[in-house]
Amino acid sequence: MNGAGPLLSTLAGIVYALILAPIVVVFALAFSADNFILFPPSGYSLRWFQALGHHGPLLASLWLSVQVASVVTLCSLLVGVPAALALAKGEFRGKDALTGFFLAPLLLPTLITGLALLLFFTPLRLTATLPGLVLGHMTVTVPFVIRMMTTALANLPHDIEAAAATLGATPWRVVRRVTLPLAAPGLIACACLSFLLSFDETVISLFISGPRASTLPVEMVRYVEGRTDPLIAALSVVLIIATLIVVVAVERLVGVARAVGK
Amino acid sequence: MSATRRLPWLLLPAGLFVLGIYAWPTLLLLRNAFNEVGPTGAMVEAMSLKTATETFADGFTFELTWNSLWLSATATTIALALSYPLSLFLFRTTSRWRGILAVIAILPMLISGVVRVFGWLAILGDRGLVNGLLQSLGLISAPLKLVFNWTGVTIGLAESIMPYMILALLAGFGQLDRTLEEASRSLGASPARTFLRVTLPLSLPAIVLAAGLGFVLSMSAYITPKLLGGGRVFVLATEIFEQATTNTNWPVAAVLALYTLALLLVLLALSNLLARRLRR
Amino acid sequence: MSYLELAGLQKRFGNATAVDDVSLSVAKGEAVALLGPSGCGKTTTLRMLAGLIEPDRGTIRIDGAEITRLPAHRRNMGYVFQSYALFPHLSVARNVAFGLEERGRPKAEIARQVEEALALVRLSGLDARRPRELSGGQQQRVALARALVIHPSVLLLDESLSNLDAKLRDAMRHEIRSIQRALGITTLFVTHDQVEALTMCDRIAVMHRGRIAQIGAPEEIYEKPATRFVAEFVGRANALPAERGPDGQVRLWNETLALAAPADGSFDVFVRPQRMRIVPVSEPAGPDTARVSGRVLRSVFVGDHVEVLIEGAGGQLTVEMPSGSPAPAEGSEVAVVWPATESRVFAREAP
Repeated sequence: MNGAGPLLSTLAGIVYALILAPIVVVFALAFSADNFILFPPSGYSLRWFQALGHHGPLLASLWLSVQVASVVTLCSLLVGVPAALALAKGEFRGKDALTGFFLAPLLLPTLITGLALLLFFTPLRLTATLPGLVLGHMTVTVPFVIRMMTTALANLPHDIEAAAATLGATPWRVVRRVTLPLAAPGLIACACLSFLLSFDETVISLFISGPRASTLPVEMVRYVEGRTDPLIAALSVVLIIATLIVVVAVERLVGVARAVGK
Repeated sequence: MSATRRLPWLLLPAGLFVLGIYAWPTLLLLRNAFNEVGPTGAMVEAMSLKTATETFADGFTFELTWNSLWLSATATTIALALSYPLSLFLFRTTSRWRGILAVIAILPMLISGVVRVFGWLAILGDRGLVNGLLQSLGLISAPLKLVFNWTGVTIGLAESIMPYMILALLAGFGQLDRTLEEASRSLGASPARTFLRVTLPLSLPAIVLAAGLGFVLSMSAYITPKLLGGGRVFVLATEIFEQATTNTNWPVAAVLALYTLALLLVLLALSNLLARRLRR
Repeated sequence: MSYLELAGLQKRFGNATAVDDVSLSVAKGEAVALLGPSGCGKTTTLRMLAGLIEPDRGTIRIDGAEITRLPAHRRNMGYVFQSYALFPHLSVARNVAFGLEERGRPKAEIARQVEEALALVRLSGLDARRPRELSGGQQQRVALARALVIHPSVLLLDESLSNLDAKLRDAMRHEIRSIQRALGITTLFVTHDQVEALTMCDRIAVMHRGRIAQIGAPEEIYEKPATRFVAEFVGRANALPAERGPDGQVRLWNETLALAAPADGSFDVFVRPQRMRIVPVSEPAGPDTARVSGRVLRSVFVGDHVEVLIEGAGGQLTVEMPSGSPAPAEGSEVAVVWPATESRVFAREAP
């Protein structure tokens, strides 16, 4: 017995078709010439991509999303990586409990977090502001960074930091010369995924966005609620391609680096 | 060493963040559940169970709970039925494309939920892929109602939780040892019997954990029921959002949110307990 | 005059005692092996020396100065890790240079010393390679060069040869020993391989359950094991259950040995199989010769020697004969003799 066998492979093929169906359909629809969702389209054109280029609200929210995701990524790494370093390398009492404390936000659904943030931000006038959105998204990305980097740092080659110490490197020199360079691919992958998480974050954004400032997913939800035309399909194609580039980059980075590291 | 003992200081920024932007707002949420709503609809600071008792006395809350549980159960069942063969395939395949196949399987997780919901609208809509196909084949005369109802939400939800369940199943398959199946075959069991007597029992804990995860994710999903339900599907998640934003009725939203959270925690605890039982 | 001095070192991890009470003096330029099975505390001892683990109790002194609480980076210990722990992101030269760079030495001096160190381990010309591009043996040499180039107070080697294949291990054993002798560097060697310990070191400290069971020259450890554990762990030995005869002598397989038995308790007689000889039953025992008789169960050819399994009144024993000599026929009655001084008596351990 080797491999998966014909029956299992066929079943998996069907499931793959189901998984990929919405994405494939979105691609076909993006090039539709129709005014509404009709499948198969009666003709093909690039008109929805052109329409997208002139749609002010969507473009404005896209720009806001890029800004928010960039700041979120930077801040999450600044806050999360030192914490991951402490949790992966430190020897102190209550470490397991602290790890649980830092990862707890990953357990709560964003529906609950979003509501809690709405209640917290409203009196502070932070809703529908860049800082508010950044802080909101960080409730998702900071625990994510801590989890991913704690694992990455804990999985560094055995004894390599001890070796640096015996050679005379002070603890901070060890971090700078050995730990961080070795963790760099993981760090970059982590940054990419944090950006994606923030960029795609919808529920928390829906709670704390407003007419003054709404991110791209929020604007898309509003658009889909009101109308059903292929404009969103054209936007989706752009987003999917951008996402795929990031995913491939991460796969290459961590994958290639893993092969290189040994 | 003394240096590794000094490391806890590095936890300070993250600690302050989690306390300030996560723990404190969650406590505020708890506090709001004890506030009341005045006759004008304005919130009244209070420390009572009035909002909670009123909310639970309302028959609609019971209906929402039932809707949420039923929707989650059906979506999880469908997702499990599809995820299990796919995960087993990924676990077993020796193809050199295995890495890419695994990435594709969890790809929906990385693509915006709104995009995928839009894809389902195009597939299931009145003039979408399915109806267009069936009509052109002459199988139906009027389009089937596949979206803006429970059917559409169930399908969309099942698809959205699948990547998470696939990951959970793959992690749980770790204890599935290929040689055990080979041993079963060498002892005379057919592939089907081997699956029933060896593979399935050994993967049962993984199935329970994956199902628990899928159920919890379905219960707290908002985008899919909202957009694919088209305002006709009412579950706890949609009601919490409506109360919090459209109605700005925070106390009720807080009560419902805590109630949902309690349900989720009970469900998670049950599935973990069951998985641990099965593993022994 | 001792150079390195460990006194009463102890380390516990939770409820488990890794190192119970280790005291050891090492002279300058001496090579000492810490030999023992896994879990005996030898690696923990070495890591405490390097400052990678803090001892719960006890002191470590070098050249009279106490370094027990000094952090690892200020100890100047050359540590060669079992996994080599080479920096994968740095070239061979940068790996070797690492310690000198941390000491802020001038660039030119670093370059010269790195070159010398690589020449010493016969790796000249490989300085631009990355560790992953080297064979296991070459990686081992880089690790050694990296530890030596800082002119460490003590060289610490942790199971350093265990990841190499058998042939390479033999070669590296001699190479490391000759480098160690040439530089006159004080060396502590952790190993579970007795051949390594016996061939590479001036003295061996056999460790057992977090303590040093015996310390001495290789011949001493082998010929005069101080405890039952040392006799069992180093080399091979027949452990033959024996009794105390009415005359206070050892009685083994119904024969009296010219050997005083312990006053009480049950005990075993330990004899190395290669010190035993098989002789015809008719041959009488000499005055200082121990002698038992039995029947040959079977002979096993093991290449450089033949193992003969013999069963007698009190159980079984193994005799090692050089191969090439005619092995006795299976089933034949024979006598086994050995010099009485080759017998060691140890109390039986409580099960």
